[in-house]
Formats: sequence, C-alpha cells, structure tokens
Amino acid sequence: MKALVVDDSLTIRRIVVKALGLVGITEAAEAGDGTEALRALAGDKFDLILLDWNMPKMSGIDTLRALRQAGQKVPVIMVTTEAEKSRVIEAIKTGANDYLIKPFSPDQLAAKVKSVLGAPTG
Amino acid sequence: MDANCINPFIEAVDTVFTTMLHVQPKRNGVRVSQDDKNAQDRPSLTSIVGISGQISGVVALRFPPETALCVASRMLGSTISHVNDEVVDVISELVNMVAGSAKAKLGCHPPLQLGLPTVVEGTGYKLKYPSKSVWLEVGFASDAGTFSMEVTYNPN
Repeated sequence: MKALVVDDSLTIRRIVVKALGLVGITEAAEAGDGTEALRALAGDKFDLILLDWNMPKMSGIDTLRALRQAGQKVPVIMVTTEAEKSRVIEAIKTGANDYLIKPFSPDQLAAKVKSVLGAPTG
Repeated sequence: MDANCINPFIEAVDTVFTTMLHVQPKRNGVRVSQDDKNAQDRPSLTSIVGISGQISGVVALRFPPETALCVASRMLGSTISHVNDEVVDVISELVNMVAGSAKAKLGCHPPLQLGLPTVVEGTGYKLKYPSKSVWLEVGFASDAGTFSMEVTYNPN
C-alpha cells in the first residue's frame, strides 16, 4: 500500500505521513504541488492520494480534474483549509472520494483513510 | 470594521491551536490600531496571508521567537532550537489554517480566496495595508508561549 501526499507545506506532509502510519501505510511519496504530483503519478503507482487544494503552480482541484480526465481511478482525499460546503461539493463532483478539513487530528485522517480504502489496514 | 468582525478569527485560532498543538490559547483582549502603529520593539516572526473576494484584507500571526520554536517543535514532534525553514513552514501553515477556518465562518458566496502565506522576521517592523486600514489585534497566552493575531479587512 503506497500513498502520495501532496501539499506545499512540509509540516502538513510530515503530519499526514505520520498519521498514515496509524492505518499501516508506511510507504509514502511526497509532492509539493500539483505538477510534482502528476509527475510522480506518471512514474509510479499509488493506492491513495492525499491532496491539498491551495498550492503554487497547480492547485489541488486542477490536479484532481487532470487525474480524472486522464482516467486515473486512484482514491483521492482532499485535505484542505477550504471548508465551505460549495468547495466540498465541487471536489466530490470533480472526483474526490472524501474530504478532510484542516485543522485535523491524526485520528480523523486515519478514519477517512480507512473509510476510503474500504477495509482497515491496521 | 468593528470589533465583532474579529470573532470568527478568534474562534479559528482556538480550533487550530487546540486541534494541531493541543494547547488552549487564552485571549488577552482586543486592541484597535491604525496600520502605522502596530510595530513592536521585540524580535518576532509574523506569518501573513491575504484574503480576497467580497472582502479583502490580511490575517497575521505574530510570534516571539521562543513561541515560534515551541509551536514548531510541538507541531513536528521534534525539538527545534533555532529558527529555520521548518519553523517558517509551521507558522505559515498555522496562519493558513486560521484564515481558512475563519473565512468559512464568514460565509461569503462565492468563497473567499486565500493567498499563499508569507513570513516576516525581524524587529520593529510594521504591517501595512492600503487605505488607512484599521487593524484589530488580539493577544493570546498559551502553554506554548504568547503570540498575537492581527486582522484587517474591508468589504469590496
């Protein structure tokens, strides 16, 4: 099980990677924006993507749109400060599998991951 | 901008610091200042993020260096003893989360837009915003140290 953590904040990437360990995901790659994420996806296979919304170069929502338009079905959880209902709806309509609003606790993130992956992994 | 406008931001500070740092900030009171009178003599690091849309303005979190180090150490789960890129990243993310949480509470449609955070470090600097802005400043005390939030915004 391998995850891709996409966020321009090193802090959030570290927190997310640590929280993934709670559900047994110990292999994680990191990307600092959408373009880096798409490059990583072109060269590797992932089972889950944790995706920020507001990032330089390419936003999370544009990255998600590009992914889905390319036929990528990898589960995506948006992890973002964008808390408005209209944003959540936009993300889900674009193809996000779930949505986690910052700030979040590691347990909240772990619960979302378990829910999206269908079965507890740890 | 009246003092009640600061409430969504105060609630956001409480939510962010409690959830991410497990500290309960205690508010020291709200101060109103003009944009050329909010300089402080002591060294500080200030993370700043712009808001645009139906309203435009700035949200800033100002930390004494010792608070910034404590906050970064707690957030990253390791001891950080000097100001570095990790500290800058942590306080950038904190102001990003505070502004994000507050903008949801403000309930504008379409949602307000946030810029990417910036950090200033130094002594005696002033935060400026166009149009003779009025700043609302809130001081906080916490287990991680003291810090303050400064907010200014105007309707468009």
